[in-house]
Amino acid sequence: MSFDLTIMIAGEAGQGLNTLSNILLKVLARSGYHLFASQDYMSRIRGGHNFTKIRVSDKQLYSPASASHLLVALNQESVDLHGNHLSNPSLIVHDLDTVQVNKAGGICDIAVPIRKIALDSGNALYGNSVVLGILTALLKLDFSILTTILKASFATKSVEHKKGNIKAATDGFKYLLDNFQGLNTPIGRVKEKKRMLISGTEAMAIGMMAGGLRFISAYPMSPSTGVFTYVTNKAGRLNIVSEQAEDEIAACNMALGASAAGARAAVTTSGGGLSLMCEGISLSGMAEIPLVTVNMQRPGPATGFPTRTAQEDLDLVLHIGHGEFPRFIFAPGTAEEAFYTSIIAMNLAEKYQVPVFLLGDQHLADSYVTLDKLNTNRVKYRSYLVKNGTLKKPYLRYKITKSGVSPLAYYGQEKIHFIVDSHIHTEDGHISEEMNVAKKMVEKRFRKLNGMKKEFPGPTYYGPGKAKTLFVSWGSTYGAVRETIDCLLAKGKSVAMVHYNKIWPFPVQESIEILKSRKDICVVENNYQGQFGRLLQRETNIKTGEPILRYDGRPFDVQFIIDTFEKRQK
Amino acid sequence: MTEKNHFHSSGERAWCPGCGDFGILSSVENALMNLGKRPHEVLIVSGIGQAAKLPHYINTNGFDGLHGRALPAAFGAKAANHRLQVLVTSGDGDIYGEGGNHFIHAIRRNIDITLIVHNNQIYGLTKGQASPTSDLGMVTKTQPNGVSTIPFNSLAIAITLDAVFVARSFSREMEFTTQLIEEGVRTPGFSLIEILQPCVSFNTVNTYKWYSERVYKLDSPYDPADKLQAYKKSGEWGEKIPIGVLYKKPRRTFLDNQFKPKDLPLFQRKTVMKEIISLTNELFE
Repeated sequence: MSFDLTIMIAGEAGQGLNTLSNILLKVLARSGYHLFASQDYMSRIRGGHNFTKIRVSDKQLYSPASASHLLVALNQESVDLHGNHLSNPSLIVHDLDTVQVNKAGGICDIAVPIRKIALDSGNALYGNSVVLGILTALLKLDFSILTTILKASFATKSVEHKKGNIKAATDGFKYLLDNFQGLNTPIGRVKEKKRMLISGTEAMAIGMMAGGLRFISAYPMSPSTGVFTYVTNKAGRLNIVSEQAEDEIAACNMALGASAAGARAAVTTSGGGLSLMCEGISLSGMAEIPLVTVNMQRPGPATGFPTRTAQEDLDLVLHIGHGEFPRFIFAPGTAEEAFYTSIIAMNLAEKYQVPVFLLGDQHLADSYVTLDKLNTNRVKYRSYLVKNGTLKKPYLRYKITKSGVSPLAYYGQEKIHFIVDSHIHTEDGHISEEMNVAKKMVEKRFRKLNGMKKEFPGPTYYGPGKAKTLFVSWGSTYGAVRETIDCLLAKGKSVAMVHYNKIWPFPVQESIEILKSRKDICVVENNYQGQFGRLLQRETNIKTGEPILRYDGRPFDVQFIIDTFEKRQK
Repeated sequence: MTEKNHFHSSGERAWCPGCGDFGILSSVENALMNLGKRPHEVLIVSGIGQAAKLPHYINTNGFDGLHGRALPAAFGAKAANHRLQVLVTSGDGDIYGEGGNHFIHAIRRNIDITLIVHNNQIYGLTKGQASPTSDLGMVTKTQPNGVSTIPFNSLAIAITLDAVFVARSFSREMEFTTQLIEEGVRTPGFSLIEILQPCVSFNTVNTYKWYSERVYKLDSPYDPADKLQAYKKSGEWGEKIPIGVLYKKPRRTFLDNQFKPKDLPLFQRKTVMKEIISLTNELFE
């Protein structure tokens, strides 16, 4: 029997929500379940209201669920906020003494003296381990998997702390078995198998490292900080220098300096920081310095919603940087796509000596999914730097070539030296005021587009070849749209989808092939203006239908898309 | 200098005749030659301005980037290849104005580069507006009532932040400037050498004559290790202007914590695929 269960863990910042969710996710991933976990958190360190939704199934998942079946309420507010929006029937796990549940129809109240059990184990702080014990019993999971993960999670803590947490988990587990026999939790069994648990943040970070990243600089900004932090923590092992810059302007120019000297370089930021990098990106375009920019989008303008999701920066990355120059833009839809795309991004930046954007968002960055594996051989690192001693004099840094790409040397190479320059420059990189030099150099840079257009696969298609409505996703809307297609097909609707990861250079011909005879094209995106839809129309001259848009800082889910779609059909 | 300087480049320089930048360029060329450097071993980074054109007029590697952003770019290049001898040459507007924040943090970071600031107390490229170092009262097209913002004391700030080498020179004192640049380059860590430089087109106050009448060389018993004394000297401006090494304080550089001098440069290091695989394996745990 197929099953699809959603667990919501809710509480306030500072209650250890993250640790609790992460351990539960690991236990489920190790037990062989497919997962999709999304985070909803406020921009504060203490208080407020945060929650994680963990969707559990026996089949691959791509998006967050709409309603939850099991609520773990760490405080009263969690019950008050979510108690009336649970699926029917549902379960609520909470502390017997501090949280009250109004037993309305369909709610199974699992009140456990969590705080008391924790205190009996030695410390009120062990409460979350009690909860983990309860959930392990409730979800019929193997208790030994929980203890292994608890031990690993508290590896650096004192023996007393470790023992206390294990005892708390054991007592929570037992309490549930002793007091709630015969409970029916809607979870099925799966074959035991270790699954990889990965976030978009981790996928992008590991991908960039596999793509030969040597230098990273950033100024912390949600929701991009995770990528920078992940790389920084692995920097020593992977021959990377990481530096937290004084501002995004410095971060961008540091990366350009490193890149000009031959080190593959990237910056990570979100919209506000990207705005500050604008001039640096223009320099990357003019001086032909490879640069990978990760932009994890959040709602703007200005400070916006720091910890929420949006796809509002597409127009920004299409145009960022004064003047004209070619660029690549990728918007991976899943953690898996993010991994492979990031490797390719590192290669392409150097191959074409252009700025490359990896456009993610908070939803992609912070969501966890399970995968069977990542293939580290599928896409390989490849260097495009010229080898020492193979250059002939005079070396021309901006040599005019048919492909538009000039041989890429590095500073310090025996017997040659060169200058990279931000002005209109000659082939040897020196300032020029000549109109012919300007014209030839503009044309040289744009000739790169011929090669760039052939790189990276075009949009991917999902669903039956002929369909009345063709949905379009780009970036992180992929998952919710894909599951919407499955759901609508099951209801007998005629639908299919096309997904864009490569955004620029825009895959014009492939798009026209797919879109030309379609009656109804429905673009789904996380912004107000329908930025991708407008791009699609501009590039293909094909008219799209009414889009499905969301701009409240929250990701799409299947229910939201279907509800909007049904209204749209009327 | 009788032997040919391989850093010397021929060709036109887009500077006004008599500009102080010519003297600074010669001093840089001579210092690099005296240090026994070869052109491919050196990188000169600049921003935008008259001074920032210098990398185009010398035979060595160059990075002529954005206005105010020379220091971050120089940091990146040095991190990518610690064997490069990295110098930054830019003006007072570029380093102290547009790039003021980077100036502060580059000193804190203490990367091993030599910063040469051509200080002419005016904006030359944009034709004569006040710069962060213009003296109070100077009348310009954009400060018609005279500069009312107090000048930026870069040396005092560098001393406060414990820059490892803080010096001032005057472009006409070419031999002296050459020696200071050599010493700055030899000193590991962030060296600041500010060079007073007349702008013959737009600064009618701080002329060759004006500087020549005021500058004097710091000599023993002046001790550049004495921070309080250095701080006091950095405030001396007007009747008398000290030139020479104001402050010296050795400390570990940014890259001392990352590499040993003989290590393979960062850009030549390889991605350890074994480590990538182990990272993906950790995601199963």
